[in-house]
Amino acid sequence: MILKGLTWLILLQLLGSVINLLLLPALPGPIIGMVLLFVALLVRRSIPESLEKTTALLLQYLPLLLIVPAAGIITSSDALLADLPAIAVGLVLSLVITVPFCGWLMQVLIRRMERKQEDQA
Amino acid sequence: MSTFDLATVWRLTLEHPLFSAGLTLVAFQLALALYRRSGWLVLQPVMIGMLLVVSVLYLSGLDYQTYREGASMIAILVGPATVALAIPLYRHLRRIRQLFWPIVITLCVGGVLCVGLTLLISGFMGADMAVLMSLAPKAATMPIAMLAAEQIGGVASLAAVFVMLTGVIGTALGPLMLGWAGVNHPAARGLSYGINAHAIGTARALEEGDECGAFAALGMSLLGILIALFLPLTLG
Repeated sequence: MILKGLTWLILLQLLGSVINLLLLPALPGPIIGMVLLFVALLVRRSIPESLEKTTALLLQYLPLLLIVPAAGIITSSDALLADLPAIAVGLVLSLVITVPFCGWLMQVLIRRMERKQEDQA
Repeated sequence: MSTFDLATVWRLTLEHPLFSAGLTLVAFQLALALYRRSGWLVLQPVMIGMLLVVSVLYLSGLDYQTYREGASMIAILVGPATVALAIPLYRHLRRIRQLFWPIVITLCVGGVLCVGLTLLISGFMGADMAVLMSLAPKAATMPIAMLAAEQIGGVASLAAVFVMLTGVIGTALGPLMLGWAGVNHPAARGLSYGINAHAIGTARALEEGDECGAFAALGMSLLGILIALFLPLTLG
């Protein structure tokens, strides 16, 4: 079951990578594969059991898979340290603004939609 | 009878391809145990696991290229896992339809503000171009951010570190900031957590409640797709 789901995921990634090389150099292959899978699910209107199981397993261990590329920081620690103040201020300041802003905007929009629906009812 | 020379044994162990794979597995399980025992959101398994691997590489003198080749049997699954992100997104389809326009507007405005502000502030303070391009996708989940960063001329591993920092800082500041802004609708709080602090924010949102958690997962996956689709096209 898990092997079947994994086969689908790998074939979709392969298809995405070929599309990336031939038609869409701006988008990474796995991302194109993800969009293809999403469209396929929309058409099929349900998630196959094999894919469901494989996905649960893969996403559970996603942190493990990401440790390998993340450890590459050892090769670019100079860049990180050189720009540390700019990075730290940029990260913190943008979060201080966007966290409350996104919540506030969403809340205003939801309340407006609910009021409209009440008016119609 | 041959005599065992400790130095030779150590060198052979280090050079074996399985050393890298084993090191990654052990580091991950130690990090996971620490995360579960402590219950601290700050101790993200990727971050702690990465620090453990980096320390061992640093102490043993093994270079990253050799480590990466040995551990490629683990890293190769990142691609299929990225494709699999379509599954949780599809599960939230009904909720997306219910609040379609509020979600779309908040995602687009919030996403542009999030990327724009970071680039503007860090760029103004003189950050290097490669660093800026690694900062741009920081709000996406890690596999997407790493792919997008490489696509626009950034460094994948730097992007991974920025994604972790964003998630940790955003989750730490989130409850306080949302309280100040008077945001108490669970869907609005959740979406903000998801947009700004991806998976770590989603874990925090789940603690606040089911609806909050669902919207955080939604914000995280949709913003990830937006960043994956539009960042390479606009900055690439």
